[in-house]
Amino acid sequence: MTYSKEKIGRLVEEARVHRSVYTDPELFELEMDRIWGHSWVYVGHESQLAKPGEFITTTVGKEPVILVRDKADAIHVLYNRCGHKGSKVTARPCGKNSVFRCPYHGWTYQLDGKLQMTPHKIGYENTGFDPEDPQFSLRPVARVASHRGFVFACLASDGPDFREFMQDTIATIDNMVDRSPEGEVEVVGNCLPYMHDCNWKMFVENLNDAVHPMVAHASVGKATEKLMKSLPEGTPYPPEAEIIFPFGSAYDLFDSMKVTTMPYGHSYMGGEQSIHTGYSDIPGYFEALVAGHGEDKAKTILSRNRHNTTVYPSFTIKDAVQVIRVVRPISVNQTLIQSWHFRLKGAPEQLLHRTITYSRLINSPASMVGPDDWDVYSRMQESLQSNAAEWVDMHRYLGRDELVEDSDLKRAPGTSDLTMRNQYQAWLEYMTVETAA
Amino acid sequence: MSVDIREIEDFLYAEADLLDRTDLENWMALFTDDGTYWMPVREDQDDPLNEISILYENRTLMAIRCNNFGHRLAPSMEYPVRCNHIISAVRVTGEDEARGLLTVTSKFQAVVCYREQTLYAGRYTHRLQKEPDGYKIRQKRVDLINCDANHKSLLIYI
Repeated sequence: MTYSKEKIGRLVEEARVHRSVYTDPELFELEMDRIWGHSWVYVGHESQLAKPGEFITTTVGKEPVILVRDKADAIHVLYNRCGHKGSKVTARPCGKNSVFRCPYHGWTYQLDGKLQMTPHKIGYENTGFDPEDPQFSLRPVARVASHRGFVFACLASDGPDFREFMQDTIATIDNMVDRSPEGEVEVVGNCLPYMHDCNWKMFVENLNDAVHPMVAHASVGKATEKLMKSLPEGTPYPPEAEIIFPFGSAYDLFDSMKVTTMPYGHSYMGGEQSIHTGYSDIPGYFEALVAGHGEDKAKTILSRNRHNTTVYPSFTIKDAVQVIRVVRPISVNQTLIQSWHFRLKGAPEQLLHRTITYSRLINSPASMVGPDDWDVYSRMQESLQSNAAEWVDMHRYLGRDELVEDSDLKRAPGTSDLTMRNQYQAWLEYMTVETAA
Repeated sequence: MSVDIREIEDFLYAEADLLDRTDLENWMALFTDDGTYWMPVREDQDDPLNEISILYENRTLMAIRCNNFGHRLAPSMEYPVRCNHIISAVRVTGEDEARGLLTVTSKFQAVVCYREQTLYAGRYTHRLQKEPDGYKIRQKRVDLINCDANHKSLLIYI
Protein backbone atom coordinates (compact mmCIF):
# COMPACT_ATOMS: atom_id res chain seq x y z
CA MET A 1 0.00 0.00 0.00
CA THR A 2 1.44 3.32 -1.05
CA TYR A 3 -1.01 5.49 0.92
CA SER A 4 -0.09 5.79 4.58
CA LYS A 5 -2.39 7.66 6.93
CA GLU A 6 0.05 10.59 6.84
CA LYS A 7 0.13 10.67 3.05
CA ILE A 8 -3.66 10.70 2.84
CA GLY A 9 -3.70 13.45 5.47
CA ARG A 10 -1.62 15.65 3.19
CA LEU A 11 -4.21 15.48 0.38
CA VAL A 12 -6.74 17.67 2.16
CA GLU A 13 -5.99 21.14 3.50
CA GLU A 14 -8.30 23.74 4.99
CA ALA A 15 -9.18 25.32 1.67
CA ARG A 16 -7.82 23.05 -1.02
CA VAL A 17 -7.76 19.40 -1.97
CA HIS A 18 -5.19 17.50 -3.99
CA ARG A 19 -6.27 16.55 -7.52
CA SER A 20 -5.38 12.88 -7.00
CA VAL A 21 -8.54 12.35 -4.88
CA TYR A 22 -10.44 12.47 -8.18
CA THR A 23 -8.00 10.61 -10.40
CA ASP A 24 -6.06 7.96 -8.50
CA PRO A 25 -7.56 4.45 -8.83
CA GLU A 26 -5.82 3.37 -5.62
CA LEU A 27 -7.57 6.10 -3.64
CA PHE A 28 -10.85 5.04 -5.25
CA GLU A 29 -10.34 1.48 -3.97
CA LEU A 30 -9.57 2.83 -0.49
CA GLU A 31 -12.73 4.97 -0.62
CA MET A 32 -14.82 1.93 -1.51
CA ASP A 33 -13.56 0.23 1.63
CA ARG A 34 -13.22 3.10 4.10
CA ILE A 35 -16.06 5.44 3.06
CA TRP A 36 -18.56 3.26 1.19
CA GLY A 37 -17.81 0.29 3.40
CA HIS A 38 -18.26 2.22 6.65
CA SER A 39 -21.03 4.76 6.02
CA TRP A 40 -24.77 4.15 5.73
CA VAL A 41 -25.49 3.80 2.01
CA TYR A 42 -28.96 4.11 0.48
CA VAL A 43 -30.26 0.80 -0.87
CA GLY A 44 -33.90 1.25 -1.88
CA HIS A 45 -37.42 2.06 -0.75
CA GLU A 46 -39.75 -0.41 0.93
CA SER A 47 -42.55 0.41 -1.53
CA GLN A 48 -40.46 -1.37 -4.17
CA LEU A 49 -41.00 -4.56 -2.16
CA ALA A 50 -44.67 -4.28 -1.31
CA LYS A 51 -45.23 -8.04 -0.96
CA PRO A 52 -43.24 -10.89 0.64
CA GLY A 53 -40.71 -12.32 -1.80
CA GLU A 54 -40.35 -9.08 -3.77
CA PHE A 55 -36.79 -7.91 -4.18
CA ILE A 56 -34.52 -5.45 -5.94
CA THR A 57 -30.81 -5.74 -6.64
CA THR A 58 -28.26 -2.95 -6.46
CA THR A 59 -24.83 -2.20 -5.07
CA VAL A 60 -23.46 -0.82 -1.81
CA GLY A 61 -20.11 0.58 -2.84
CA LYS A 62 -18.76 -2.23 -4.99
CA GLU A 63 -20.73 -4.96 -3.24
CA PRO A 64 -23.67 -6.50 -5.12
CA VAL A 65 -26.68 -6.77 -2.80
CA ILE A 66 -30.31 -7.90 -2.77
CA LEU A 67 -32.96 -5.95 -0.86
CA VAL A 68 -35.78 -8.39 -0.11
CA ARG A 69 -38.94 -8.69 2.00
CA ASP A 70 -39.28 -12.12 3.62
CA LYS A 71 -42.45 -14.09 4.40
CA ALA A 72 -42.66 -12.53 7.88
CA ASP A 73 -42.50 -9.03 6.31
CA ALA A 74 -38.97 -8.40 7.53
CA ILE A 75 -36.55 -6.53 5.26
CA HIS A 76 -33.10 -7.96 4.53
CA VAL A 77 -30.07 -6.72 2.64
CA LEU A 78 -28.08 -9.77 1.49
CA TYR A 79 -24.85 -10.01 -0.45
CA ASN A 80 -25.76 -11.24 -3.93
CA ARG A 81 -23.19 -14.02 -3.85
CA CYS A 82 -23.88 -17.73 -3.66
CA GLY A 83 -22.23 -19.35 -0.62
CA HIS A 84 -20.92 -22.12 -2.85
CA LYS A 85 -18.83 -20.80 -5.74
CA GLY A 86 -19.78 -17.15 -5.59
CA SER A 87 -22.18 -16.65 -8.49
CA LYS A 88 -24.77 -13.91 -8.23
CA VAL A 89 -27.97 -15.76 -7.36
CA THR A 90 -30.06 -13.31 -9.37
CA ALA A 91 -29.13 -10.99 -12.21
CA ARG A 92 -32.53 -9.32 -12.41
CA PRO A 93 -32.96 -5.68 -11.26
CA CYS A 94 -36.19 -6.59 -9.46
CA GLY A 95 -38.64 -9.48 -9.15
CA LYS A 96 -40.51 -11.82 -6.86
CA ASN A 97 -39.22 -15.15 -5.59
CA SER A 98 -40.26 -17.70 -2.99
CA VAL A 99 -36.59 -18.69 -2.60
CA PHE A 100 -33.33 -17.66 -4.24
CA ARG A 101 -31.87 -20.50 -6.27
CA CYS A 102 -28.36 -20.23 -7.65
CA PRO A 103 -28.51 -20.91 -11.41
CA TYR A 104 -25.12 -22.70 -11.38
CA HIS A 105 -25.38 -25.72 -8.99
CA GLY A 106 -28.85 -25.15 -7.57
CA TRP A 107 -28.05 -24.14 -4.01
CA THR A 108 -31.28 -22.71 -2.67
CA TYR A 109 -31.74 -19.98 -0.07
CA GLN A 110 -34.64 -18.78 2.04
CA LEU A 111 -35.65 -15.15 1.65
CA ASP A 112 -33.71 -14.27 4.80
CA GLY A 113 -30.57 -15.71 3.17
CA LYS A 114 -30.38 -18.98 5.11
CA LEU A 115 -29.20 -21.96 3.08
CA GLN A 116 -32.21 -24.19 2.51
CA MET A 117 -30.94 -26.93 0.25
CA THR A 118 -27.93 -28.21 -1.63
CA PRO A 119 -28.70 -30.81 -4.33
CA HIS A 120 -27.31 -34.35 -4.29
CA LYS A 121 -26.46 -34.26 -0.58
CA ILE A 122 -24.74 -37.63 -0.62
CA GLY A 123 -21.57 -36.01 -1.92
CA TYR A 124 -21.24 -33.90 1.24
CA GLU A 125 -21.69 -36.77 3.68
CA ASN A 126 -18.69 -37.30 5.97
CA THR A 127 -16.78 -34.43 4.36
CA GLY A 128 -17.00 -32.02 7.28
CA PHE A 129 -19.23 -29.72 5.22
CA ASP A 130 -21.57 -27.91 7.62
CA PRO A 131 -24.65 -26.43 5.92
CA GLU A 132 -25.34 -24.43 9.10
CA ASP A 133 -22.06 -22.53 8.75
CA PRO A 134 -22.97 -18.88 7.95
CA GLN A 135 -20.35 -18.76 5.21
CA PHE A 136 -22.65 -20.99 3.13
CA SER A 137 -25.65 -18.66 3.45
CA LEU A 138 -26.51 -15.60 1.39
CA ARG A 139 -24.81 -13.41 3.94
CA PRO A 140 -26.58 -10.39 5.36
CA VAL A 141 -24.78 -7.04 5.42
CA ALA A 142 -23.69 -5.96 8.88
CA ARG A 143 -26.44 -3.42 9.57
CA VAL A 144 -29.73 -2.36 7.97
CA ALA A 145 -31.99 0.53 8.98
CA SER A 146 -35.18 1.87 7.52
CA HIS A 147 -36.75 5.26 8.05
CA ARG A 148 -40.24 5.83 6.64
CA GLY A 149 -39.51 3.24 3.97
CA PHE A 150 -36.05 4.50 2.99
CA VAL A 151 -33.65 1.60 3.54
CA PHE A 152 -29.96 2.20 4.22
CA ALA A 153 -27.25 -0.39 4.81
CA CYS A 154 -23.86 -0.28 6.49
CA LEU A 155 -21.31 -2.96 5.60
CA ALA A 156 -19.40 -2.43 8.86
CA SER A 157 -20.64 -3.53 12.26
CA ASP A 158 -18.87 -0.67 14.04
CA GLY A 159 -19.30 3.08 13.66
CA PRO A 160 -22.26 5.38 14.30
CA ASP A 161 -25.77 3.99 14.40
CA PHE A 162 -28.20 5.06 11.68
CA ARG A 163 -29.85 7.96 13.54
CA GLU A 164 -26.54 9.37 14.72
CA PHE A 165 -25.21 9.07 11.14
CA MET A 166 -28.21 10.76 9.50
CA GLN A 167 -28.07 13.87 11.71
CA ASP A 168 -30.53 16.57 10.59
CA THR A 169 -30.95 15.03 7.11
CA ILE A 170 -33.68 12.85 8.62
CA ALA A 171 -35.86 16.00 8.73
CA THR A 172 -35.70 16.25 4.93
CA ILE A 173 -36.95 12.68 4.52
CA ASP A 174 -39.67 13.41 7.10
CA ASN A 175 -40.68 16.58 5.30
CA MET A 176 -40.97 14.80 1.96
CA VAL A 177 -43.08 12.00 3.43
CA ASP A 178 -45.19 14.41 5.51
CA ARG A 179 -46.09 16.20 2.28
CA SER A 180 -48.33 13.19 1.63
CA PRO A 181 -51.78 13.74 3.17
CA GLU A 182 -51.55 10.08 4.25
CA GLY A 183 -47.98 10.40 5.52
CA GLU A 184 -46.69 7.82 3.03
CA VAL A 185 -44.82 7.86 -0.26
CA GLU A 186 -44.22 5.22 -2.88
CA VAL A 187 -41.76 4.78 -5.73
CA VAL A 188 -43.31 5.26 -9.16
CA GLY A 189 -41.90 3.62 -12.28
CA ASN A 190 -38.36 2.69 -13.16
CA CYS A 191 -35.41 4.74 -12.12
CA LEU A 192 -33.88 7.10 -14.64
CA PRO A 193 -30.21 6.12 -14.90
CA TYR A 194 -27.51 8.47 -16.15
CA MET A 195 -23.92 7.31 -16.57
CA HIS A 196 -21.35 10.00 -15.80
CA ASP A 197 -17.73 10.00 -16.97
CA CYS A 198 -16.41 11.44 -13.72
CA ASN A 199 -15.42 10.65 -10.19
CA TRP A 200 -18.39 10.28 -7.81
CA LYS A 201 -17.28 13.22 -5.65
CA MET A 202 -17.69 15.71 -8.51
CA PHE A 203 -21.40 14.92 -8.63
CA VAL A 204 -21.77 15.05 -4.84
CA GLU A 205 -19.88 18.34 -4.56
CA ASN A 206 -22.04 19.92 -7.22
CA LEU A 207 -25.30 19.31 -5.35
CA ASN A 208 -24.87 22.32 -3.09
CA ASP A 209 -22.58 24.28 -5.40
CA ALA A 210 -24.59 27.46 -5.92
CA VAL A 211 -21.92 29.29 -7.89
CA HIS A 212 -22.42 27.18 -11.00
CA PRO A 213 -26.14 27.33 -11.97
CA MET A 214 -26.12 30.90 -13.31
CA VAL A 215 -23.08 30.02 -15.42
CA ALA A 216 -23.35 26.39 -16.47
CA HIS A 217 -27.17 26.49 -16.77
CA ALA A 218 -27.56 29.98 -18.19
CA SER A 219 -28.49 28.87 -21.69
CA VAL A 220 -31.77 27.11 -21.00
CA GLY A 221 -33.21 30.15 -19.18
CA LYS A 222 -32.14 32.40 -22.04
CA ALA A 223 -33.58 29.95 -24.57
CA THR A 224 -36.90 30.12 -22.70
CA GLU A 225 -36.83 33.93 -22.59
CA LYS A 226 -36.11 34.03 -26.31
CA LEU A 227 -39.16 31.89 -26.97
CA MET A 228 -41.38 34.12 -24.80
CA LYS A 229 -40.17 37.24 -26.65
CA SER A 230 -41.14 35.63 -29.95
CA LEU A 231 -44.73 35.08 -28.76
CA PRO A 232 -47.50 37.72 -28.63
CA GLU A 233 -47.25 39.96 -25.56
CA GLY A 234 -49.17 38.62 -22.62
CA THR A 235 -48.73 34.97 -23.59
CA PRO A 236 -48.61 33.12 -20.28
CA TYR A 237 -45.36 31.42 -19.36
CA PRO A 238 -45.43 27.66 -19.81
CA PRO A 239 -45.57 25.63 -16.58
CA GLU A 240 -42.03 24.39 -17.20
CA ALA A 241 -40.72 27.96 -16.80
CA GLU A 242 -41.16 27.91 -13.01
CA ILE A 243 -38.81 24.93 -12.91
CA ILE A 244 -36.28 26.31 -15.42
CA PHE A 245 -35.91 29.96 -14.41
CA PRO A 246 -34.74 29.55 -10.77
CA PHE A 247 -31.59 27.84 -12.10
CA GLY A 248 -30.56 31.23 -13.46
CA SER A 249 -31.07 33.02 -10.13
CA ALA A 250 -28.50 35.59 -9.05
CA TYR A 251 -25.67 34.95 -6.57
CA ASP A 252 -27.43 37.09 -3.93
CA LEU A 253 -30.51 34.89 -3.96
CA PHE A 254 -28.47 31.71 -3.54
CA ASP A 255 -26.45 33.39 -0.78
CA SER A 256 -29.66 34.26 1.06
CA MET A 257 -30.81 30.63 0.94
CA LYS A 258 -27.75 29.60 3.00
CA VAL A 259 -26.11 26.19 3.16
CA THR A 260 -26.06 24.11 6.30
CA THR A 261 -23.56 21.37 7.04
CA MET A 262 -23.33 18.69 9.68
CA PRO A 263 -21.00 15.89 10.73
CA TYR A 264 -20.30 12.95 8.40
CA GLY A 265 -20.22 15.22 5.33
CA HIS A 266 -23.95 15.90 5.02
CA SER A 267 -25.46 19.21 3.96
CA TYR A 268 -28.49 20.96 2.62
CA MET A 269 -29.30 24.23 0.93
CA GLY A 270 -32.29 26.39 1.72
CA GLY A 271 -34.66 25.71 4.57
CA GLU A 272 -37.47 28.19 4.45
CA GLN A 273 -36.55 29.34 1.00
CA SER A 274 -35.11 27.47 -1.97
CA ILE A 275 -35.26 27.40 -5.74
CA HIS A 276 -38.49 25.41 -5.32
CA THR A 277 -40.30 28.00 -3.16
CA GLY A 278 -42.00 29.77 -6.04
CA TYR A 279 -43.86 26.76 -7.43
CA SER A 280 -47.54 27.39 -8.08
CA ASP A 281 -50.23 25.93 -5.84
CA ILE A 282 -51.95 22.80 -7.05
CA PRO A 283 -55.74 22.91 -6.58
CA GLY A 284 -57.00 20.70 -3.79
CA TYR A 285 -53.56 19.84 -2.42
CA PHE A 286 -53.52 22.16 0.59
CA GLU A 287 -57.05 21.07 1.53
CA ALA A 288 -56.01 17.41 1.31
CA LEU A 289 -52.96 18.10 3.45
CA VAL A 290 -55.07 19.93 6.07
CA ALA A 291 -57.52 17.02 6.13
CA GLY A 292 -54.63 14.64 6.71
CA HIS A 293 -52.52 16.59 9.20
CA GLY A 294 -54.53 19.60 10.47
CA GLU A 295 -53.95 23.16 9.34
CA ASP A 296 -51.05 24.09 11.61
CA LYS A 297 -48.98 21.06 10.71
CA ALA A 298 -49.86 21.40 7.03
CA LYS A 299 -48.56 24.98 7.01
CA THR A 300 -45.39 23.98 8.86
CA ILE A 301 -44.75 21.15 6.40
CA LEU A 302 -45.11 23.44 3.38
CA SER A 303 -43.01 26.20 4.97
CA ARG A 304 -39.94 23.96 4.89
CA ASN A 305 -38.27 23.93 1.54
CA ARG A 306 -34.84 22.51 1.07
CA HIS A 307 -33.03 22.39 -2.27
CA ASN A 308 -30.69 19.38 -2.20
CA THR A 309 -30.13 17.52 1.04
CA THR A 310 -27.04 15.39 0.67
CA VAL A 311 -26.49 12.32 2.79
CA TYR A 312 -22.80 11.78 2.15
CA PRO A 313 -21.75 9.81 0.17
CA SER A 314 -24.64 8.05 -1.58
CA PHE A 315 -27.93 9.90 -1.46
CA THR A 316 -29.51 13.24 -2.25
CA ILE A 317 -33.15 14.16 -1.77
CA LYS A 318 -35.44 17.05 -2.69
CA ASP A 319 -38.28 17.16 -0.19
CA ALA A 320 -40.30 19.74 -2.11
CA VAL A 321 -40.02 17.88 -5.43
CA GLN A 322 -40.16 14.23 -4.28
CA VAL A 323 -37.11 13.15 -6.22
CA ILE A 324 -34.03 11.37 -4.92
CA ARG A 325 -30.78 10.75 -6.73
CA VAL A 326 -28.57 7.86 -5.77
CA VAL A 327 -24.82 7.71 -6.36
CA ARG A 328 -23.35 4.37 -7.51
CA PRO A 329 -19.60 4.67 -8.10
CA ILE A 330 -18.34 2.39 -10.87
CA SER A 331 -14.65 3.32 -11.07
CA VAL A 332 -12.40 6.27 -10.35
CA ASN A 333 -13.71 8.04 -13.45
CA GLN A 334 -17.20 6.63 -13.88
CA THR A 335 -20.31 7.10 -11.75
CA LEU A 336 -23.88 5.98 -12.23
CA ILE A 337 -26.58 8.37 -11.01
CA GLN A 338 -30.07 6.95 -10.54
CA SER A 339 -33.08 9.27 -10.18
CA TRP A 340 -36.10 7.82 -8.39
CA HIS A 341 -39.52 9.46 -8.21
CA PHE A 342 -42.13 9.32 -5.48
CA ARG A 343 -45.90 9.65 -5.32
CA LEU A 344 -47.33 11.43 -2.30
CA LYS A 345 -50.17 9.11 -1.34
CA GLY A 346 -53.48 10.97 -1.15
CA ALA A 347 -52.23 14.06 -3.05
CA PRO A 348 -53.66 15.28 -6.39
CA GLU A 349 -51.92 13.65 -9.33
CA GLN A 350 -50.67 17.02 -10.61
CA LEU A 351 -48.02 16.85 -7.88
CA LEU A 352 -46.65 13.67 -9.37
CA HIS A 353 -46.79 15.26 -12.83
CA ARG A 354 -44.61 18.09 -11.50
CA THR A 355 -42.17 15.62 -9.92
CA ILE A 356 -41.86 13.81 -13.24
CA THR A 357 -41.61 17.01 -15.26
CA TYR A 358 -38.91 18.35 -12.94
CA SER A 359 -36.78 15.25 -13.34
CA ARG A 360 -37.19 15.15 -17.13
CA LEU A 361 -36.20 18.82 -17.35
CA ILE A 362 -33.29 18.68 -14.93
CA ASN A 363 -32.07 15.11 -14.26
CA SER A 364 -32.61 13.28 -17.54
CA PRO A 365 -29.59 12.44 -19.70
CA ALA A 366 -31.60 14.15 -22.46
CA SER A 367 -32.51 17.24 -20.40
CA MET A 368 -31.19 20.75 -21.00
CA VAL A 369 -29.56 20.94 -17.55
CA GLY A 370 -27.97 17.59 -16.63
CA PRO A 371 -25.78 17.39 -19.76
CA ASP A 372 -24.18 20.74 -18.89
CA ASP A 373 -23.20 19.41 -15.45
CA TRP A 374 -22.08 16.16 -17.08
CA ASP A 375 -19.90 18.07 -19.47
CA VAL A 376 -18.06 20.13 -16.86
CA TYR A 377 -17.50 17.07 -14.67
CA SER A 378 -15.95 15.15 -17.56
CA ARG A 379 -13.80 18.16 -18.47
CA MET A 380 -12.46 18.25 -14.92
CA GLN A 381 -11.89 14.51 -14.92
CA GLU A 382 -9.77 14.88 -18.04
CA SER A 383 -7.90 18.04 -17.18
CA LEU A 384 -7.12 17.13 -13.59
CA GLN A 385 -4.69 14.67 -15.19
CA SER A 386 -2.78 17.74 -16.31
CA ASN A 387 0.41 18.58 -14.46
CA ALA A 388 -0.35 22.29 -14.73
CA ALA A 389 -1.34 22.43 -11.07
CA GLU A 390 -1.75 20.08 -8.13
CA TRP A 391 -4.66 21.55 -6.16
CA VAL A 392 -8.38 22.18 -6.41
CA ASP A 393 -9.53 25.28 -4.56
CA MET A 394 -12.32 25.72 -1.98
CA HIS A 395 -11.77 29.18 -0.45
CA ARG A 396 -15.21 30.73 -0.94
CA TYR A 397 -16.45 32.33 2.32
CA LEU A 398 -13.70 30.59 4.29
CA GLY A 399 -13.68 31.68 7.93
CA ARG A 400 -17.18 33.13 7.82
CA ASP A 401 -19.22 30.11 8.91
CA GLU A 402 -21.81 30.56 11.67
CA LEU A 403 -22.20 27.86 14.28
CA VAL A 404 -25.85 27.07 14.79
CA GLU A 405 -26.63 27.25 18.50
CA ASP A 406 -27.01 24.00 20.47
CA SER A 407 -26.11 21.84 17.49
CA ASP A 408 -23.28 20.50 15.37
CA LEU A 409 -24.62 22.46 12.41
CA LYS A 410 -22.63 25.10 10.55
CA ARG A 411 -24.21 27.63 8.24
CA ALA A 412 -22.84 29.91 5.53
CA PRO A 413 -24.04 31.97 2.56
CA GLY A 414 -25.36 29.69 -0.19
CA THR A 415 -22.40 30.21 -2.50
CA SER A 416 -19.89 29.24 0.19
CA ASP A 417 -17.54 26.30 -0.37
CA LEU A 418 -18.51 25.21 3.16
CA THR A 419 -20.29 22.07 1.93
CA MET A 420 -17.23 20.98 -0.02
CA ARG A 421 -14.86 21.69 2.89
CA ASN A 422 -17.23 19.77 5.14
CA GLN A 423 -17.29 16.80 2.76
CA TYR A 424 -13.50 16.66 2.71
CA GLN A 425 -13.40 16.85 6.50
CA ALA A 426 -15.58 13.73 6.55
CA TRP A 427 -13.53 12.18 3.73
CA LEU A 428 -10.38 12.64 5.76
CA GLU A 429 -11.94 11.16 8.88
CA TYR A 430 -13.15 8.08 7.02
CA MET A 431 -9.94 7.64 5.05
CA THR A 432 -7.50 7.98 7.96
CA VAL A 433 -9.36 5.99 10.60
CA GLU A 434 -7.27 3.23 12.22
CA THR A 435 -8.55 -0.03 10.77
CA ALA A 436 -8.11 -3.43 12.30
CA ALA A 437 -7.08 -4.80 8.92
CA MET B 1 -58.67 6.88 -46.27
CA SER B 2 -56.40 6.06 -49.14
CA VAL B 3 -52.91 5.42 -47.83
CA ASP B 4 -49.88 5.63 -50.06
CA ILE B 5 -47.10 3.84 -48.18
CA ARG B 6 -44.47 5.51 -50.39
CA GLU B 7 -45.75 8.93 -49.36
CA ILE B 8 -45.48 7.93 -45.71
CA GLU B 9 -41.99 6.53 -46.14
CA ASP B 10 -40.91 9.75 -47.83
CA PHE B 11 -42.34 11.72 -44.95
CA LEU B 12 -40.41 9.66 -42.38
CA TYR B 13 -37.20 9.93 -44.41
CA ALA B 14 -37.59 13.68 -44.70
CA GLU B 15 -38.22 13.97 -40.96
CA ALA B 16 -35.12 11.90 -40.15
CA ASP B 17 -33.11 13.94 -42.63
CA LEU B 18 -33.95 17.14 -40.76
CA LEU B 19 -32.61 15.52 -37.58
CA ASP B 20 -29.51 14.36 -39.47
CA ARG B 21 -28.94 17.98 -40.44
CA THR B 22 -29.78 19.10 -36.86
CA ASP B 23 -32.36 21.44 -38.34
CA LEU B 24 -34.60 21.45 -35.28
CA GLU B 25 -36.60 24.46 -36.41
CA ASN B 26 -37.93 22.81 -39.54
CA TRP B 27 -38.14 19.43 -37.81
CA MET B 28 -40.36 20.92 -35.10
CA ALA B 29 -42.63 22.41 -37.76
CA LEU B 30 -43.61 18.88 -38.80
CA PHE B 31 -45.58 18.49 -35.57
CA THR B 32 -49.16 19.60 -34.95
CA ASP B 33 -49.58 22.37 -32.37
CA ASP B 34 -50.44 19.71 -29.76
CA GLY B 35 -47.78 17.33 -31.05
CA THR B 36 -45.43 15.50 -28.68
CA TYR B 37 -42.15 13.60 -28.82
CA TRP B 38 -41.84 10.73 -26.37
CA MET B 39 -38.92 8.48 -25.46
CA PRO B 40 -39.96 6.11 -22.61
CA VAL B 41 -37.43 4.70 -20.14
CA ARG B 42 -39.30 1.42 -19.75
CA GLU B 43 -40.50 -1.27 -22.16
CA ASP B 44 -44.28 -1.14 -22.72
CA GLN B 45 -44.55 2.14 -20.80
CA ASP B 46 -48.01 3.56 -21.42
CA ASP B 47 -47.98 6.78 -19.38
CA PRO B 48 -45.75 9.80 -20.01
CA LEU B 49 -47.24 11.97 -17.24
CA ASN B 50 -47.25 9.78 -14.14
CA GLU B 51 -44.00 7.98 -14.87
CA ILE B 52 -40.53 9.19 -15.76
CA SER B 53 -39.40 9.14 -19.39
CA ILE B 54 -36.07 10.01 -20.98
CA LEU B 55 -37.90 12.63 -23.07
CA TYR B 56 -41.48 13.82 -23.31
CA GLU B 57 -41.71 17.19 -25.01
CA ASN B 58 -44.45 19.36 -26.44
CA ARG B 59 -44.03 22.15 -28.98
CA THR B 60 -43.06 24.64 -26.25
CA LEU B 61 -40.19 22.49 -25.03
CA MET B 62 -39.17 21.73 -28.61
CA ALA B 63 -38.95 25.48 -29.23
CA ILE B 64 -36.86 26.00 -26.06
CA ARG B 65 -34.60 23.11 -27.10
CA CYS B 66 -34.29 24.60 -30.56
CA ASN B 67 -33.15 27.91 -29.02
CA ASN B 68 -30.82 26.07 -26.64
CA PHE B 69 -29.25 23.87 -29.32
CA GLY B 70 -25.71 25.05 -29.99
CA HIS B 71 -26.09 27.86 -27.43
CA ARG B 72 -22.74 29.54 -26.80
CA LEU B 73 -23.32 29.54 -23.02
CA ALA B 74 -24.02 25.80 -22.71
CA PRO B 75 -20.84 23.80 -21.98
CA SER B 76 -22.43 20.67 -23.45
CA MET B 77 -22.90 22.47 -26.77
CA GLU B 78 -19.24 23.13 -27.49
CA TYR B 79 -19.03 19.91 -29.50
CA PRO B 80 -20.57 19.13 -32.85
CA VAL B 81 -23.60 16.85 -33.01
CA ARG B 82 -23.86 14.68 -36.11
CA CYS B 83 -26.46 12.02 -36.81
CA ASN B 84 -27.31 9.45 -39.39
CA HIS B 85 -30.66 7.67 -39.41
CA ILE B 86 -31.64 4.51 -41.22
CA ILE B 87 -35.33 3.63 -41.26
CA SER B 88 -36.92 0.43 -42.50
CA ALA B 89 -39.99 -1.81 -42.16
CA VAL B 90 -42.41 1.10 -42.41
CA ARG B 91 -45.94 -0.19 -41.83
CA VAL B 92 -49.35 1.34 -41.24
CA THR B 93 -50.64 -0.39 -38.12
CA GLY B 94 -53.69 1.70 -37.33
CA GLU B 95 -56.17 3.94 -39.10
CA ASP B 96 -58.80 6.28 -37.66
CA GLU B 97 -60.56 7.44 -40.77
CA ALA B 98 -63.02 9.75 -39.00
CA ARG B 99 -60.21 11.78 -37.44
CA GLY B 100 -57.75 11.40 -40.29
CA LEU B 101 -55.20 9.70 -38.05
CA LEU B 102 -52.70 7.02 -38.98
CA THR B 103 -50.46 4.95 -36.77
CA VAL B 104 -47.19 4.09 -38.50
CA THR B 105 -44.51 1.86 -37.03
CA SER B 106 -40.97 1.50 -38.32
CA LYS B 107 -37.56 0.21 -37.28
CA PHE B 108 -34.64 2.58 -37.00
CA GLN B 109 -30.94 2.73 -36.35
CA ALA B 110 -29.49 6.12 -35.56
CA VAL B 111 -25.80 6.77 -35.21
CA VAL B 112 -25.13 9.89 -33.18
CA CYS B 113 -21.69 11.39 -32.99
CA TYR B 114 -21.48 13.63 -29.94
CA ARG B 115 -18.08 13.49 -28.21
CA GLU B 116 -18.13 9.77 -29.04
CA GLN B 117 -20.09 7.74 -31.54
CA THR B 118 -23.17 5.94 -30.20
CA LEU B 119 -25.58 3.61 -31.94
CA TYR B 120 -29.22 3.92 -30.94
CA ALA B 121 -31.73 1.43 -32.29
CA GLY B 122 -35.39 0.69 -31.81
CA ARG B 123 -38.92 1.20 -33.00
CA TYR B 124 -40.68 4.39 -34.00
CA THR B 125 -44.41 4.81 -33.61
CA HIS B 126 -45.67 7.86 -35.47
CA ARG B 127 -49.22 9.08 -35.01
CA LEU B 128 -49.77 11.04 -38.19
CA GLN B 129 -52.50 13.58 -38.87
CA LYS B 130 -53.64 13.81 -42.48
CA GLU B 131 -53.79 17.43 -43.56
CA PRO B 132 -54.67 18.97 -46.93
CA ASP B 133 -51.01 19.45 -47.86
CA GLY B 134 -49.58 16.24 -46.42
CA TYR B 135 -49.00 14.82 -42.95
CA LYS B 136 -48.26 16.30 -39.53
CA ILE B 137 -47.01 14.42 -36.47
CA ARG B 138 -49.35 14.18 -33.47
CA GLN B 139 -46.87 12.02 -31.62
CA LYS B 140 -43.51 10.46 -32.33
CA ARG B 141 -42.77 7.67 -29.87
CA VAL B 142 -39.24 6.30 -29.75
CA ASP B 143 -38.79 2.93 -28.09
CA LEU B 144 -35.07 2.31 -27.78
CA ILE B 145 -34.16 -1.37 -27.46
CA ASN B 146 -31.99 -0.28 -24.54
CA CYS B 147 -34.46 2.25 -23.13
CA ASP B 148 -33.47 1.37 -19.56
CA ALA B 149 -29.69 1.34 -20.14
CA ASN B 150 -27.28 3.61 -18.31
CA HIS B 151 -27.22 6.28 -20.99
CA LYS B 152 -24.83 9.17 -21.21
CA SER B 153 -25.94 12.61 -22.39
CA LEU B 154 -28.29 12.76 -25.36
CA LEU B 155 -28.28 16.18 -26.96
CA ILE B 156 -30.71 15.71 -29.81
CA TYR B 157 -33.94 13.94 -30.63
CA ILE B 158 -33.43 10.50 -32.14
